[in-house]
Parts: sequence; structure tokens; C-alpha cells
Amino acid sequence: MRILVAEDLYLLRDGLVRLIEAYGHQVVATAGTGPETLDALLTLQPDVAVIDVRMPPTQSDEGLRAALAARREIPGLPVLILSQHVEQLYARELLADGTGGVGYLLKESVFDADQFVDALERVAAGGTAMDPAVIAKLLSSGPTTRRLDRLTEREHDVLALMAEGLSNQAIASRLFLSESAISKHTTALFGKLGLTDNDTSNRRVLAVLAYLNN
Amino acid sequence: MKRMGRFGLDALTGLWRAGVVAAVTVLVPAMWAAAVALAVLWSDNPWSWIPLVMLPAVGSLGLAQPVCRWVRSLVARWTGTVIEPGYREPPPVTQLSTGYWWNGYTYASSAKQARQEQEWRHKLRDPATWRDLRFAEIVALTAGLASLVPLAGIAVAVAGFATSSYVVGGLGLLAAIGTAPYAWRLLEPVAVRFLRPPPPSLADRVDELTAQRANTTIAQAAEIRRIERDLHDGAQARLVALGLSLATAEKLMDTDPRQAKALLQDARAGAATSLTELRELVKGINPPVLNERGLVDAVRAFALDSPLEITVDAEPVSLDPPIESAVYFAVVELVTNAVRHAEATSATISISRTPDLVVVVEDNGRGGAVIRAGGGLEGLHRRLAAFDGTVAVTSPAGGPTRVRMTVPCESS
Repeated sequence: MRILVAEDLYLLRDGLVRLIEAYGHQVVATAGTGPETLDALLTLQPDVAVIDVRMPPTQSDEGLRAALAARREIPGLPVLILSQHVEQLYARELLADGTGGVGYLLKESVFDADQFVDALERVAAGGTAMDPAVIAKLLSSGPTTRRLDRLTEREHDVLALMAEGLSNQAIASRLFLSESAISKHTTALFGKLGLTDNDTSNRRVLAVLAYLNN
Repeated sequence: MKRMGRFGLDALTGLWRAGVVAAVTVLVPAMWAAAVALAVLWSDNPWSWIPLVMLPAVGSLGLAQPVCRWVRSLVARWTGTVIEPGYREPPPVTQLSTGYWWNGYTYASSAKQARQEQEWRHKLRDPATWRDLRFAEIVALTAGLASLVPLAGIAVAVAGFATSSYVVGGLGLLAAIGTAPYAWRLLEPVAVRFLRPPPPSLADRVDELTAQRANTTIAQAAEIRRIERDLHDGAQARLVALGLSLATAEKLMDTDPRQAKALLQDARAGAATSLTELRELVKGINPPVLNERGLVDAVRAFALDSPLEITVDAEPVSLDPPIESAVYFAVVELVTNAVRHAEATSATISISRTPDLVVVVEDNGRGGAVIRAGGGLEGLHRRLAAFDGTVAVTSPAGGPTRVRMTVPCESS
């Protein structure tokens, strides 16, 4: 994969580049500011870009804004946003266009390199990778909580992992269950929430996220 | 007929109100009368001057404030004219590093004692105390006497009819009915003239600012101590443990690789935990969204995470960072109160510039919130006061609670 790394702190940028290259992917460019990131996104059109939210010149949400702007130009351009904190507000903005190819993870998710690179590949393929912390907030705040009361505990777990962007197979291995057990749970919870199950897992995840966002 | 009826009703209410005014205003003169009576009664006792001096002195001071409070509430209820009490806030009672408590005047060994000692000292220095005292006398001689007219009329009427002098009785009744609708009305102008606090002087303003500065300094120091403690017990301790795990893992790498691997995993988990702790700490100091997006989006982000169903109605505003931060934490505190104390299920937050910043937080909880000394709302009020902001709370029992915060801003 051709990957862009946008991060202003040298140590982190260097670490990310090394980690990505260790998994056999190619870092085509690095960027350290918001404008640089936007420029690289539009000209290089990488397979996926890893972008820090807070970057110069304003040290506010430069990275996030660059990612959103680039995706308005090129819909579905895969971006994986990294941040020291996760906000539902930002997750909603990233998911709003409904095209997928979006990731939003806490910086410490790189501690588990396998899972991180897995998430990167999933986003590059048009899937989603949402941090468990964002999903936990989505599932536990506001009116959604009451609507999810009808789910069993196991269905709740499956829903959370699905919302993170995992496939049935990945959910099965995380929960130590068989894939057929997972698909039974998904059918049940889709029925309870009144959603139509979709064959492609990406579209299914987007449907779940749209439901939670509503 | 209808006009007659209304006049009758006016006369009845007037009579009732005149009675209330007379009862309230007669308290202080009645006490003087009691003092004189006691002095006369004990006139052969060489100590008889004591009640004559002590009773009016102590009694007037003690009674003036309740009398004024009643007058203020009566005037507000009958005429709608609100007269601000205008008492000065007592300076905060704070613990010094020596362990003693300072109340602005004296040191004491306990907070309770410091508050008790502060009470009278503060009252004697507050010009409002002396204003109340003066008013208690003035109101008795003006509105009090006026309200006695219809009551005297009734007395004459009763006496007249009882002794069968019907002319005197009739005149008394006529005087009572004729004056009843008007007699109590003197209370309002007298109260407005003599009870309303004078517009704040520059000296008052200096006092207020001095108190605010002291409050802010104390709050800041407490906050810094909390941060230091959190870092010391949290992240710093964890980093030490992390270093230990790594050092041990390094040592065991060759001899016991399995144990070394387990230690490395521990180290990784420890690093993740310290990050979580640091994130919470940072959020408490200055939420990152506030820095990245400003007040409105920070409030939106907070609303999304809240267990309540919150509607945010806001126009984009740009403010100085200290004001943004103070208002943000005020909103967070109000919503937390709504969840914790009022058992609310939904809330609305509105933010607008008019050109002052006006933030209104309303919940559907059970109400009953009051600004109590030392309570959360008072702290909120004090933090906003540093920016000349004000807080108005309406929270009837049974709800809803509506808090309106206003912070003056120069239009930019």
C-alpha cells in the first residue's frame, strides 16, 4: 500500500513510518502541517493516509479539517485519523458523508501493532475503524442507550465490535466464538433494531453507525 | 354596582394590608415602649436604666433586618417593585497553610468558629445593616402611622356602636372604608426612597474586586494542588513502574525470555493506562475540543457524550479563552447537577451574543436548586464573577430548572 503519514511530532512520525514499513507497506510522503497534508492528499492520492488531528499552524484541528476537505474533493479517499482524545462530534463529522474508508483511533492504538495495521488495511479497502472508546460513547450516551436495552449482553458486544468496523470473522476470533454463532447474533440484533442486513460487511457497518449516530 | 363591589374589595384588601404593615412596622417602636415600661416599673431599682438602654440597642439591631426583609417581600408581592437587599457578601473563610482559619478579620482554630466570629463583625461593617436600622425607624413613623388610620377608624366605629353613639360609629366606619384602599400604599415610596441600596460606589467596586481576586487565587491554588497530586500519584508513579518493568525485562531477556515477554506486555498495558489517566486529567484542566473548536463545538461534543438528551441551540461565538473555559465548565457543572440532583432526562443549552454572552441551561428535572453558601452554584457564580458575569437561577420545586448566565463581552 502507498501510505501518507501526517504528524507534526518528529518522534511519533518517525515511529509510525518505521512501524508501517516493518509491515511491508510503503510510506510515500510525510507531512507536518495542515496545508501540507491537504496538498499531499490531493496530489498523491495515497491508498490510505494516517493523519494527526492537531497540527501547525494553529495547533487546533488542522489535520481533521484537511482530511474532511480532501474527502469533499475526492469522495471516499481513505483516511485514518489519530488523536490523543476521541470525540463523538468528530466521529460524526467523519462518517457524515456515508462513503466509508474512514478510521478514527486513539494514538495508543499503535501499541498493538497487528491490530493497528489491520485497521489501516481495512480503511484502505473502504471499511471503517472506529476506536472502542468512540463506540463505547456512542452506545452509552443519550437516547441510544434506551433503544439498545432490548439487546442481550452478547448481542451488545457483537454490535460494539461491528461498529468498530470488524468483519464477522474478526469478531468471532475476538470473542472466541464460531463465525456461525456471530452471524446468528447479528441476524438477531439486526431484527431487534429494525435494520436490514447487508451482505457486504462495509455497508453493514455504515448502517450500524448511521443507526447509532441518529 | 360593579364599581361599588370593586371598591368594597379594594377596601377589604386595603384593610388587611394596612393591618400587616402596622404589625410589621410596630415591632421596633413596641420594643422601645417595652423598654420604657420596664424602666418605669423598676424605677426604684438603681439598675433600671439597663433595660432602657440595652433592649432598644440590641433589639433594634436584631429586629431591623427581619423587618426590612418582610417589607421588601411585601412590597414585591403587592406592587411588583423589587428592592435589592444589597447586603455585602462576607469574605470567604479559608484555611491557611498553618492550619488556622482566616475569615477576613480574625484567625480561628476551626472553620465554624471563624464563621461565627465573622458574622457580627461583618454585619457591623456592612452599610446595609445601618440602612436597615434607619429604615426600621422611618417606616414606623411614616407608613406605619398611615396604616394605623383605617385601623383607628375601625376601633372608633366599634367603640361608637358599642356605646350606641351611632354618629361617631358611622363616621369611624366611613373613615376606615374611605382610607383603607390607600393607607398601606405609602409603604412602597418610603421603601424605595430609604431601603433601596445606593448605586455601588467606586470603593464598593474595589472591595468586590479585592474579594474576587482573593477567591480566584485560592481556587487556582487548589486546582494546581489537585493537578500536582494527580500527576504525582498517577502518571509519574506509572512511569516509574514502567521503567522498572523494562529494566527487569532487559535483564531477563536472555535467561527467561517468557518472563521478559510478560513484563513487556505489562509495560505496554501500564503505558496505555497512564495515557488514559493523563487524558482525563487534561480534560479536567482544559478539554482539547475547547482548544480545537471553541466553546460552541466543545459544548456540542459534551452534549453528545452526556447521558441526557441535550439540544444545543447556539450561534458561533468567538471569545477570550479564559471566558470560554469558565463558561464551558459552568455548563458542564449545570448538566452534571441536572443528572445527579434533579434526575432530569433532557436538557436544552442555548448560547447567544446580544452583545453580552448569554448562556441558558434548562432541564426537565425536579427543580428546587438554590444558590447556597459553599454550594456548587455559589462556586459557579464566583468563577463567573471574575469576568463580571452573573447567574440567575429559577428552579421551583417540581422543576424545571433554568439557569441563565450572562458575561459582558466587548463586541469584536
